[in-house]
Amino acid sequence: MALDYRKCAQEIADNIGGGANVVSAAHCATRLRLVIADNGKVNKEALENVDGVKGMFESNGQLQLIIGTGTVNKVYDEFLSITGASAASKEDVKAAAAAKQPWYIRLLKPIGDVFVPILPAIVASGLMMGLVEALAKIPGLGFGETDWFAFLDMAANTAFAYLPVIVAVSAARVFGGNIFLGAVIGLMMIHSALTNGWNAANGYDVWYLFGHIKITDSYTLGQINQLGYQGHVIPVMLAVLFMSKIEGWLHKHVPEMIDLFVTPLTTVLVTALVTFTIIGPIFSGLETMVLAGAEKLVANPIGSCLMGALYPATVVMGLHHMYNVIEAGMLASKGLNTWMPIASAANFAQFGACLAVGLKCKNQKTKAVAIPSSLSAALGITEPAIFGVNMRFFKPFAAGMAGGAVGALVAAFMGIGASAYGVTGIPGYLTINNALLYTIVLAISGGLAFVITNVIWHEEEPKKAAPAPAPAVAAPTNAVIKCSAGEVIAPAVGTVIPREEIPDATFASGVLGDGVGINPTEGVIFAPYDGTISSVAESKHAIGITGPGDMELLIHVGVDTVAMNGDGFAPTVAEGDQVKKGQVIMTFDRAKIAKANHPDCVVVLLTNSDDYDGVVCG
Amino acid sequence: MKEINFTVTDPLGIHARPAGILVKEAKKFTSKITVIKGDKSCDMRKLLALMGLAVKQNDSIVVQVEGADEDACAAAIEAFLKENF
Repeated sequence: MALDYRKCAQEIADNIGGGANVVSAAHCATRLRLVIADNGKVNKEALENVDGVKGMFESNGQLQLIIGTGTVNKVYDEFLSITGASAASKEDVKAAAAAKQPWYIRLLKPIGDVFVPILPAIVASGLMMGLVEALAKIPGLGFGETDWFAFLDMAANTAFAYLPVIVAVSAARVFGGNIFLGAVIGLMMIHSALTNGWNAANGYDVWYLFGHIKITDSYTLGQINQLGYQGHVIPVMLAVLFMSKIEGWLHKHVPEMIDLFVTPLTTVLVTALVTFTIIGPIFSGLETMVLAGAEKLVANPIGSCLMGALYPATVVMGLHHMYNVIEAGMLASKGLNTWMPIASAANFAQFGACLAVGLKCKNQKTKAVAIPSSLSAALGITEPAIFGVNMRFFKPFAAGMAGGAVGALVAAFMGIGASAYGVTGIPGYLTINNALLYTIVLAISGGLAFVITNVIWHEEEPKKAAPAPAPAVAAPTNAVIKCSAGEVIAPAVGTVIPREEIPDATFASGVLGDGVGINPTEGVIFAPYDGTISSVAESKHAIGITGPGDMELLIHVGVDTVAMNGDGFAPTVAEGDQVKKGQVIMTFDRAKIAKANHPDCVVVLLTNSDDYDGVVCG
Repeated sequence: MKEINFTVTDPLGIHARPAGILVKEAKKFTSKITVIKGDKSCDMRKLLALMGLAVKQNDSIVVQVEGADEDACAAAIEAFLKENF
């Protein structure tokens, strides 16, 4: 059944204290991201149980609700209409949350924020490239020579060839700039008047804005290399960040009358100068260094192993989108993307861990999230599995890291790689150069994570449940007291003795009411009928319970055990609780009672037995 | 109506078994007997409710007796409390 978006949004709004408590709202590919004014008004347990919410966590000062691809935007729209909040730009959300974030997160987060919205474009292009190239590789088909191939290849690689434009538009949205000005900056950086960045090795021309004042041997003041930024990401983001800041400042300070032409003109001119003379040269240099560093790390098996373990952690931080840069770099420099098998091992391990949770858990809600999430992870989109399942229980996440590490190690030893980037997991078969070895890597990483998760992860019992008595005992079914009001089932397992034989004169005399004693064989007390707990003794050893026909039953564990002052007794109910027949209401430690030299006879007395006719005990 | 003020000296307070004896004593009379501790009160004939008051050592309770035999009842209850608690 399709999700009722409006109902889902309404329930979310209800459980976060209403629209008034929302500072701002935004969404990414899978998550609804909210900044909440008063976290005390958020009912987390209820939120997790809202139909449509697959998981929830707090990160970077935001409350993030995992809803799912293709669904989150619809819920988001309904959410806005319900709460009356206007569509907050990502900038508002970030600014509101920024106060709560550590500096390094604030630094890294925008990278993920920029990349998540453009994933569809990258995934579409990546898959298409993979398919087209796989077809071209089939021997004897001659597909690579056809016009179809040339056409499809052009269509497929568009998103990559013009990546800076897509990044610039997305970045302008994230940083709060005008997206069309952002597009201008992106286009400028790959302008056809510049030499294509991939062809830098063939040489390029240089403009000298301020003449020939040498700063170093290789750098002249005001030097602009006539080289496009094809394949670059970070310089584009920085240029657009700079642009957005200038634009925002100008809007505030330029008189409204001339704002429309002064602001865009100044923004674009200043940004162009700063981008090509400062940001560009510095960061394309730095990016090359980062790339080299990561390539160095994955160039040897130990580094690859480390990378396989750390990969999911970087997904959590939203850093993994930056790896496209590294992959593109690998393809450019070596023609083989050896990063992909490492990422695949890490992702497939999260799939294995998530699947193990899905198969092992009893909780239907967990299962309903874990199974589809694991399938998504198998296709390389791991966010639902990581955020919705594995990280929540943590152990599966750790198992996934272990599986990823081993898988990455194996992949590095075998030296397999892909011919494209943007896909991992099963779609990775389209781009991998050796399907058999790739299968082995996936089987090892996924399988290992699956097995480890199965061994170390155990589903937590629901919070309210009694601490499991060990060994588990079935509730008795034999009635020990019968009267006109109903019957009392034995509250403990053991030998039933007549009231007169209870080793205490007062109880035995019947002044407290008629009943029986039970010499217990297990330290568990069960509710003797459906009723209400009317008292739990301060010293925990006695429970009063009111039942059908106002029967008032006293269950007193042991004799003189009041002196133990609660040590050894663990009632699982409180005064006023409704209980069901056979429900565990107390556990007690028989050894401790014996040690304290008290009989552990469970006294079961119908304290108002005088009120009923035909009371039969035993 | 008669009223008894009493402070419990028994180290264990009015717990299950002695409470039962108190209930038994109360049942000998026809008067309505109410036990008050702080803002909680109960009928002295109801054992579970009495236990629910959780009267401990040094707690002060007020017992109100009202009915045909309230004089005899109050005297008996007061004597009983002093003797047992």
